[in-house]
Amino acid sequence: MSSVRYVALASAFVIAAFYTAWAQQGPSASRPVQSTPRLADGTPNLGRVPGEKGVWNVPYIQNMGMRIPGPDGKTIAERGTASENGGRGGAKAEPDVPFLPWARGIYDYNSRNNSKYDPEGYCLPPGGPRLMATPYPMEIIQQPEHKRIFMVFEGATHIWREIYMDGRPHPQGDELNPTYLGHSVGHWDHDTLVVDVVGFNENTWLDYYGHPHTDLLHVIEKFTRPTKTTLRYEALIDDPGAYSKPWTVAWNIPWSASGELTEYICQENNRYLLKLTDDFGQPVLGGP
Amino acid sequence: MRKLLVAAAAITLLSAAPVAAHHSFAAEFDASKPFKLTGVVTKVEWQNPHTIFSLDITDEQTKKVTNWSFEMGSPNGLMRNGWTRNTLKIGDVVTVEGSLARDGSPYGNAQAVVLASTGKRLFAASSRTDAQ
Repeated sequence: MSSVRYVALASAFVIAAFYTAWAQQGPSASRPVQSTPRLADGTPNLGRVPGEKGVWNVPYIQNMGMRIPGPDGKTIAERGTASENGGRGGAKAEPDVPFLPWARGIYDYNSRNNSKYDPEGYCLPPGGPRLMATPYPMEIIQQPEHKRIFMVFEGATHIWREIYMDGRPHPQGDELNPTYLGHSVGHWDHDTLVVDVVGFNENTWLDYYGHPHTDLLHVIEKFTRPTKTTLRYEALIDDPGAYSKPWTVAWNIPWSASGELTEYICQENNRYLLKLTDDFGQPVLGGP
Repeated sequence: MRKLLVAAAAITLLSAAPVAAHHSFAAEFDASKPFKLTGVVTKVEWQNPHTIFSLDITDEQTKKVTNWSFEMGSPNGLMRNGWTRNTLKIGDVVTVEGSLARDGSPYGNAQAVVLASTGKRLFAASSRTDAQ
């Protein structure tokens, strides 16, 4: 490389650095890649920059079987080789999901009836990785002084989760009460927020397509913000009650710079549940 | 730089209007049965998890009037798509596009609504993922 090229390259880097610094402070919303915002102590800021709006626009991830990273780090969905809207193939269409036989049967049943009994249709909350796959905006609020992080979800049931960052262990034995969202403890591994979650009840599905789980579910989540406008989400799903080995799913969550959370109360007038009948044509709710 | 700008534009598009998702779309509606119907608004329920409105629709040949209902997204999703609680009023003439209910009842999932008075077309925050 000639010295002229070196100078040109160096100049480009300097310009890029100045541009990035300017872009972080500039009022305009349309700009090229913006670097990761950080808190005063250098920790990545997974939320808003002071004085600005913004929410994470959680995407609609219907089938986590298509979100398993391959050797190149990309998922089937990210390679664009197949569509989630292309129909329901059941367990046989997902060789990368290590179903145990009963989980395979349940998944095929959910496929055949088009997820008719999806708990989210009952206005129950998403549990585990589905929190990051149900398409309503979400905010992350870090409170380093309190050693905790909140994630606030507009949908599917207007809920929040609290991640304990104070080094506490999970409760043991019966002290660990199974809940929809489980018990979350987190720590920073360099620029990655690692969250360990256990203590799930069995009232949720992993996704809309109906991948089941048991109360043995253990999820390890990794959150990174490689640029201001992207949250990379990765979750290890370790459930020896439903799957023969752990499997990993991943996707990106885009930032909406002008977004704010609004109210969504699913339970208000859930006619779907009032109309829902079981496989024998009987009402799921009500009746004598 | 061009690639970066394209990427930024894609992100902007993605973040424009999130879809809503509550119950299974496919369990209740048939995406292979699209409809386009015009009628007079008789009822609007601006509620969660679905805003539901009703139209009196007159069969052009028999002149028989049938009252249809259509579900849209929730108020939060609709407001992000440009709606307010007063966008639809009793007596307004509107055209609805969407997917019919599987059970054959006069019910549908609305994906877009066109107001006859202004010609304005609004997306209905449908839970059908390819509706936008």
